[in-house]
Amino acid sequence: MQLLNKLVTIGLAAAFALPVAAHAESTLDVVKKRGQVICGVNTGLGGFSMADSQGKWKGLDVDMCSAVAAAALGDATKIKVTPLSAQQRFTALQSGEIDMLVRNSTITLQRDAGLGIQYTGVNFYDGQGFMVSKKSGVKEIKELGGATICVAQGTTHEANMAGYFRSRNLSIKPVVYESQDLMYQAFFGGRCDAMTQDSSALASALATRDKSGEYMVLPELISKEPLGPFVRRGDDQWAAVVRWTLYAMLEAEEKGVTQANVDEMLKSPEPLIQNLLGVKEGNGKALGLDEKWAYNIVKQVGNYGESFERNVGQGSPLKLQRGVNALWTKGGLMYPMPIR
Amino acid sequence: MGKRCWWAITALVIYSVISGSAVAADPTLDVVKRRGEVVCGVNGSLPGFSLLNAVKEWEGLDVDLCRGVAAAVLGKADRVKFVPLTPQQRFQELASGGIDLLAANSTITLQRSAGLGLQFTTPTYYDGQAFVVPKKLGINGATALASRGVCTLRATTHEANLKTWFGERRLKATPFLFDNQDDMYEAFFQGRCVAVTQDSTALAATVVRSGKAADYMMLPDIISREPLGPYVRRGDDAWADVVRWTQYAMLEAEALGITRDKVSEYLRSNDPRVQRLLGVAPGNGKALGLEETWAYNIVAQVGNYGESYERNVGKGSALKFARGINALWNQGGLMYPMPFR
Repeated sequence: MQLLNKLVTIGLAAAFALPVAAHAESTLDVVKKRGQVICGVNTGLGGFSMADSQGKWKGLDVDMCSAVAAAALGDATKIKVTPLSAQQRFTALQSGEIDMLVRNSTITLQRDAGLGIQYTGVNFYDGQGFMVSKKSGVKEIKELGGATICVAQGTTHEANMAGYFRSRNLSIKPVVYESQDLMYQAFFGGRCDAMTQDSSALASALATRDKSGEYMVLPELISKEPLGPFVRRGDDQWAAVVRWTLYAMLEAEEKGVTQANVDEMLKSPEPLIQNLLGVKEGNGKALGLDEKWAYNIVKQVGNYGESFERNVGQGSPLKLQRGVNALWTKGGLMYPMPIR
Repeated sequence: MGKRCWWAITALVIYSVISGSAVAADPTLDVVKRRGEVVCGVNGSLPGFSLLNAVKEWEGLDVDLCRGVAAAVLGKADRVKFVPLTPQQRFQELASGGIDLLAANSTITLQRSAGLGLQFTTPTYYDGQAFVVPKKLGINGATALASRGVCTLRATTHEANLKTWFGERRLKATPFLFDNQDDMYEAFFQGRCVAVTQDSTALAATVVRSGKAADYMMLPDIISREPLGPYVRRGDDAWADVVRWTQYAMLEAEALGITRDKVSEYLRSNDPRVQRLLGVAPGNGKALGLEETWAYNIVAQVGNYGESYERNVGKGSALKFARGINALWNQGGLMYPMPFR
């Protein structure tokens, strides 16, 4: 009997040890205990993450971070922003220095499968484009054969560009810069015929420098650049929180729930809205969050459309169209998975 | 507490520890490689998705996904064991380790991917509420159904969706309400409504079973969200990646114009996107824990997504689904493979 008791004790201990150990490592628990979400962001990309004149961080990526804080902690202001270079970003996530990376980073196979990290969804569908000076008269990318092109190190752009021109039997002279800022400085200083980056970043560079009179972004894109948040691999509870935070912002937009009307919407008879706002309970519990998680996101940050327009759309200097970033019902690719 | 009871508890605890740690210690990718076979949970009786055909071969969009995974992992698309499951069994069967992946036209939802110890990979078919009409009426789109009788199940999301969708277009919905499915389809086939509405998969299954598929057609409009996709176990991330990128490989092949017939020719392409997909430029196989020819094997043995779609649910099938929202993203649909690099 003593042996049996011992066995039971060992068995129980082992049975509980596994889930407990996994549980202890969950970033969601760490975040709740700390009372703050630590997000890795771009050091300065207008519309996505940039400190304003009062030192307050703003942008589509910053909103994503705030929304996760609203969902996990009930307070969108409980974020700490860690600006990271392209080279630092994945290491910072792998090492645990940050809880999530929302730094206009492209989702790729190598990053998803090879780096010990995982993506959670697409918060902006981008693509690599080229900027030229208007006086150059260049209208199409293929006219750039033989050109000197500024590009930033440690990005997917360098390889994409090389592949694009090689497969068309065109040669180019890439000039590689250590940082985005050095690249901008060089390009606007006349060092290159063209500059390549994601089209959103190019638009941002134009807007923040007030250069849209002299320069233009060519309309063709040479790559798919789906940008989205990354979390650590195996950290699946946290991945679910980040993933469904984005879906909640999209669902709110699709159902017409805004920062201004969210309180009224609590009285809506529509099942999809009741599911979203936690009037009908269960989704919060499944995620390990308060049932008001999505209500808090919309109340404190807004729906995806509001965040888009404020940061990169018509309410911003970038004036980007919704395009492929519109909801699926409006011709875009944004499609929230059902919240039920 | 009696002796017998202690024994039971001990056995239970030991069992749960062993089975629990077995799942944790042996990622499904390794298990599948050792076993030489992928065990796929499917619906088993849904035309276009998973069904045994007249010559006792499995066919369907879900079946092709399972075969694609087998081609990617084992180099042989036929190394799949199909396990038909009821909607009640399916998630339990996956959670308990009875199957490696579930490809059973299951909707991706929050509760299923956050609460059950499972995770979805990516949608393989964007389903949703659709409409079937008799071909002879010459109706081409759902807006033409305004103010005309649509057979609908009472008090379902379908009834609400119908009102919302037509309302947003300033059109009038005229649902003709039924309490059960059999009565609804009977009325529709008797011509008492111009259309019948349900999720496209359910509509297709009923119309095909009625033997009247030639007289009816599905309209291209999908008015609600029922994204269907494979599920795997939570924490089993290397395996989740393999299943996810198998679907993306089929989409990427379609986007690049690489078909089952032509895939060998494409091995000589100098387009870097083709080279990366087919493993001519190595690296992606290694990142996934697979041979570099993994995606080549998928396309050579199963085909690209468009080929699978047309064969199973599209023009080459009895269902004749339009591509609609299941077209590639640059052709008006939502199918968007993440980049292969």
